[in-house]
Amino acid sequence: MNPALLSVQDLHKRFLAGRPSLFQRVEKFVRAVDGVSFELAKGEILALVGESGCGKSTLALTLMGLEHPTGGQIIFEGRDATHLAVAPLKELRRHIQMIFQDPYESLNPTQTVGEIVGEPLDVHGLAADKADRDERVRQALEDSGLKPPENFLHRFPHELSGGQRQRVVIAGALVLEPTLLLADEPVSMLDVSIRAEILNLLLEIRQTRGISILFITHDLGTVGYFADRVAVMYLGRIVEIGATREVLKNPQHPYTKALLSVVPVPNPRLRRERIILQGETPNPIDLPTGCRFHPRCPVAVAECKKVDPPFVQVLDGHEAACLLVRRD
Amino acid sequence: MNPTPKSFFQTFARNRMGLVGLVMLVVAIITAVFAHRIAPNDPGDSVRVTIDDIYAAPGATHWLGTDDAGKDVLSNFIFGARVSLIVGFFASFISIVIGGVIGIVAGFYGGRVENSLMRFTDIMLVIPDLPLIVVIIALTKPSLWNIIFVIGLLGWTTTARLVRSQTLAVKSRKFVLRARAIGAGNMHIIRRHILPLVMPLIVVNTVLVISLAILNESTLSFLGLGDPTALSWGQMLNFAFGRGAMSAGAWWALVTPGFGIVWVVLALTLLGQGLEQVLNPRLETHHLSVIKEDTPPSPAAATLVPDFRQSRILLDVRDLSIDYLVPDQPSAHAVQKVSFQLREGELLGLVGESGCGKTTLMLALMRLLPAAGRIVNGQVIFEGRDLTQVSEEEITDIRWKGIAIVFQGAMNALNPVRTVGDQISEAIRQHLDITEKAKLDARVAELLELVGISPDRAGHYPHQYSGGMRQRAMIAMALACNPQVIIADEPTTALDVMIQAQILELLASLQKRLGLSIIFVTHDLGVVAEMCDSVLVMYGGVTAEYAGVDTIYNEPRHPYTQELLKAFPDLTRPGEKLAAIPGYPPRLNALPPGCLFAPRCPLAFDRCHVDIPALHRLKGSGINNMHVASCHLVEAK
Amino acid sequence: MQRSRYLLRKTSWALFTVLFVIVLNFFLFRILPGDPARAGIRDPRLTKEAVEAIRVRFGLDKPVINCFESLNPIQLGSCVVNPFQTQFFIYVGNLLRGELGFSFHSNRPVADVLSERLWNTLLLIGAGQILAIIVGMFFGIAAAWKARTPIDYVFLLTSLLAWSLPTFWLGIILLFWGSKELGLPIGGKATAGANFVTVWAEWKDLGEHILLPTLTYTIVFMGEYMLIMRSSLLDVLSEDYILTAKAKGLRTFQILKDHALKNAMLPMVTLIAINLGFTVAGAVQIETVFSWPGLGGAIFEAVGRRDFPVLQGAFLLIAISVIIANLIADLTYSYLDPRVQAE
Repeated sequence: MNPALLSVQDLHKRFLAGRPSLFQRVEKFVRAVDGVSFELAKGEILALVGESGCGKSTLALTLMGLEHPTGGQIIFEGRDATHLAVAPLKELRRHIQMIFQDPYESLNPTQTVGEIVGEPLDVHGLAADKADRDERVRQALEDSGLKPPENFLHRFPHELSGGQRQRVVIAGALVLEPTLLLADEPVSMLDVSIRAEILNLLLEIRQTRGISILFITHDLGTVGYFADRVAVMYLGRIVEIGATREVLKNPQHPYTKALLSVVPVPNPRLRRERIILQGETPNPIDLPTGCRFHPRCPVAVAECKKVDPPFVQVLDGHEAACLLVRRD
Repeated sequence: MNPTPKSFFQTFARNRMGLVGLVMLVVAIITAVFAHRIAPNDPGDSVRVTIDDIYAAPGATHWLGTDDAGKDVLSNFIFGARVSLIVGFFASFISIVIGGVIGIVAGFYGGRVENSLMRFTDIMLVIPDLPLIVVIIALTKPSLWNIIFVIGLLGWTTTARLVRSQTLAVKSRKFVLRARAIGAGNMHIIRRHILPLVMPLIVVNTVLVISLAILNESTLSFLGLGDPTALSWGQMLNFAFGRGAMSAGAWWALVTPGFGIVWVVLALTLLGQGLEQVLNPRLETHHLSVIKEDTPPSPAAATLVPDFRQSRILLDVRDLSIDYLVPDQPSAHAVQKVSFQLREGELLGLVGESGCGKTTLMLALMRLLPAAGRIVNGQVIFEGRDLTQVSEEEITDIRWKGIAIVFQGAMNALNPVRTVGDQISEAIRQHLDITEKAKLDARVAELLELVGISPDRAGHYPHQYSGGMRQRAMIAMALACNPQVIIADEPTTALDVMIQAQILELLASLQKRLGLSIIFVTHDLGVVAEMCDSVLVMYGGVTAEYAGVDTIYNEPRHPYTQELLKAFPDLTRPGEKLAAIPGYPPRLNALPPGCLFAPRCPLAFDRCHVDIPALHRLKGSGINNMHVASCHLVEAK
Repeated sequence: MQRSRYLLRKTSWALFTVLFVIVLNFFLFRILPGDPARAGIRDPRLTKEAVEAIRVRFGLDKPVINCFESLNPIQLGSCVVNPFQTQFFIYVGNLLRGELGFSFHSNRPVADVLSERLWNTLLLIGAGQILAIIVGMFFGIAAAWKARTPIDYVFLLTSLLAWSLPTFWLGIILLFWGSKELGLPIGGKATAGANFVTVWAEWKDLGEHILLPTLTYTIVFMGEYMLIMRSSLLDVLSEDYILTAKAKGLRTFQILKDHALKNAMLPMVTLIAINLGFTVAGAVQIETVFSWPGLGGAIFEAVGRRDFPVLQGAFLLIAISVIIANLIADLTYSYLDPRVQAE
């Protein structure tokens, strides 16, 4: 395997849950990210899967330096990027770029496409002159599939369709020539017929530019065909990680199994028994004891209440944090 | 909400109220600027005054009469415009700058800064303006600039509040986060991303602040605290009122200056209202708008005569077409000639991408279309009646009792200030003859239990429920009057996968237990495959394909259905490449000629771009035992 | 628990604001150039002894606050004055005892002068406010319900016009017209020197006096309330839960009554509170025009007579009334909106 581009070790991010007041002196924390470790190789696509509130978006913001980690370490391109001062942080953001879920929201409605895509160059002072700037903007638009770029430069976001908008967002990220792309649910707001295009575009960018992608999603369906590896998160921690095919075919953690079973399959002949977890994800302020999944786990045993399970290697690179895995 | 400059001016040009205000304001400004040219006399002119000149009635020499000092009222009136406008513009400039800076700084930086700034603003907001201004002016010299400064320094509070909340709203939008992610600093973000979006609000607010400043100045002057060297409209009134115009019957000295104030303030008010309407259009979605009911033309012969096979048909929709009226343009065809039948116990899936008309179609079934929507053709046969023709009274009775609907996003679909139990029992009271409280409560408890909510939560408000529970409550509400048909409009779209699975399972089990007939509207092909008996695929407002669920997924005949299935990720076949459909769904106001899918269709040939394909009937399976598709290729075979 | 915390927070905040107003009120009259010590005693006809007597009588011989004679920082030298002997503490102490000083003009205690006027103002504002809210809400509901129809435009334009009228000017016009055409009294609260035989006659007299001020009040503020009601009702009417209510088969009137009004009242309550400042401004103008013996009129008269103790007292009383009214609005809000508890 290639040397790791990004290495995250035991990362923690907790937020104060409300200020202590007259009535409540004990400080409580929301443990959004609670001990996450993984590595991302150069040119690799890692999917981070979980339900809302599992901490996957906080994790992305922390990697970008938009939130400050409260523990652990982030190593990017061999250097410690956990706590950076203003200047190196700005430098870091040249190399890590982010794509957001909602292309309607992530574009400023008062800017033209040209301004949006060129803005990162202005911020970092990258363009030598106006011609160089124009050339880079055009190139980024073309690479994002907005051809010919002249047709788009002077248009406003509201004149574009959802798919085109997401391409503008991608162009705005590519223009800085990043080495890591954090894609936070990049297609979940788009129509089905458009999704495949955007995903194919991201695959193509990975191919041509060797960019690594951290693909954050709640949809295991798209993961299967898009990612090299997949990590499943539950309540701030990764519970299973491994090669995509391996995890989808042979899921080990009961949470992964349940998630997989409820993904709708577009074939009425394959209606299956689904494992539907009852109740809702517990509040990350008061985490359950032992294994954090045990209150909803359909196969939990008494021990699960007491022991926080460590990772168990199933196959090379396929690990799951469940006490029952060892017994198999 | 945030139109570009170009579209803003276009919309504003069509706003009559705003335009009238703008013209009135321009007239006032011209009057003020050219006062020395327009006015018949100079304000300082003290011509020989005789007793006859005091409060002389309007006439040839003095068009608007004279005042207590024998001066020409018209001239004073014209020069008064200067003072009012000067005070209005300068004072509001001070207020807007202070309020804008405080609002943006507080909203953008948040935390302690925001806290202390907003606390200060709150205090200043509570202290009554005018008495404070009066006190300060009384204690200082009443000069024009003093007045401007005091009015300006005290008039920023509402601006600060508004700008702060708008800044907060803009700041929480994703493009600000994106700007941070590209490494932009605070000043860059404020300049490039916050200011352009807060500006429209500031402009509207400025108009209001100017008019308040003018009103404040005239009040001050009327109370005798105006600048003695600058004769304003308020001061003219002060003199006239205090020096006997009333007893002299000199109405002209009283009416004229007031008219000036009203003119300017009304101009600003109209302008402000106009701008507000352009920047915040909300009439489009007014749910109680008065609609002129056009009776739809009697239906053409149905192209498709349904087969009566196993079970009773509950709902028979024939050739339904719906238009949206667009001002100054031909109406948009949102739904065209859609037909389907819903049988007892059937679960029909209605699938399509956003904007394909599926929600419009469902709203039309219950006659709940927004004001601009019109049923222009077709029938909706329910219990032997055509719902498009029945009276308003009848349709109101059928709603919920005959057909109930579960909307997507239950947070907004439940009234936030009424308890969930109350909203459920309201439906029961409306349609069933149950008025006893005990019986009502028992029924509500029964319904809540049915959807898996503990009955003791009936007294809770929607915000105390989680997203999944709210959707369950909506389902309980839909079941309240035992309707024959339930429409579920994207009931799980905003929910997490596991919650979504819970809700779907609940719907499926209720359907089996209670024998419900459900129309399930969704964009998710997977959900349809898992739940439905038959499927109607819509594209651009027309039926693409309609058949039993197995046929749709395993023998689709319409290229759109085929392509859509290829674009949908299938977990059981990982690694397979997803095929994208090139291009974008058509916009309703620019439908292509011929087949609507032709521009994106891989199989399209010449005829597809010219002729609209008819619905062709094929041999099918499923409970309706039929299969239709609108494609020339189907016919060709 | 949650609501009591909300109430506690709002009440303590109101108290803090009152404190702020007291401090502001004290220093305004000491810092600004026209301070009473100089302005009131500047009359050249007074002898030195008389000036000194006035200064002692009004406590102006004491230092303003602890360490310095005036607010001049240069004099911040040695600090020997007992803090309880300063004007500020004497002022606060007097306030706590309900004493607001003596009127320069009538030499009566300010508290006495103002207390009788406070009730007159409350009577006028109360009558005008209630009428304005009722009429404004009715117009606003009608306009929002019939949005984009001629009814809406008529009500909207009427309200915009009413909003644009300067209060005092409308008062003058009504007074002019009322006294000329209808023979109504030209001001005051009661006919001077009249001796009423029956209670009925006294009430009729009061009615004739209060009619025009109340009418002025109602017209001016009706426009404001109509605009607020219309716009918040329009917002509510485009909410999804209105569509739900309609789908439930409720009649239009039921939807308005049971689903729209309460929700639209929330912004209305907040805005009524925010507008209280304008209400007071309206009172100053109307009382001036109609010589109504209220607090606003007191402000006008005090300004004319440079009677600073009365001005100071009236301002304080008005500000505190507005703060209390605001607090009441906040508390009403917490009962109308169940979401307050969740906070």
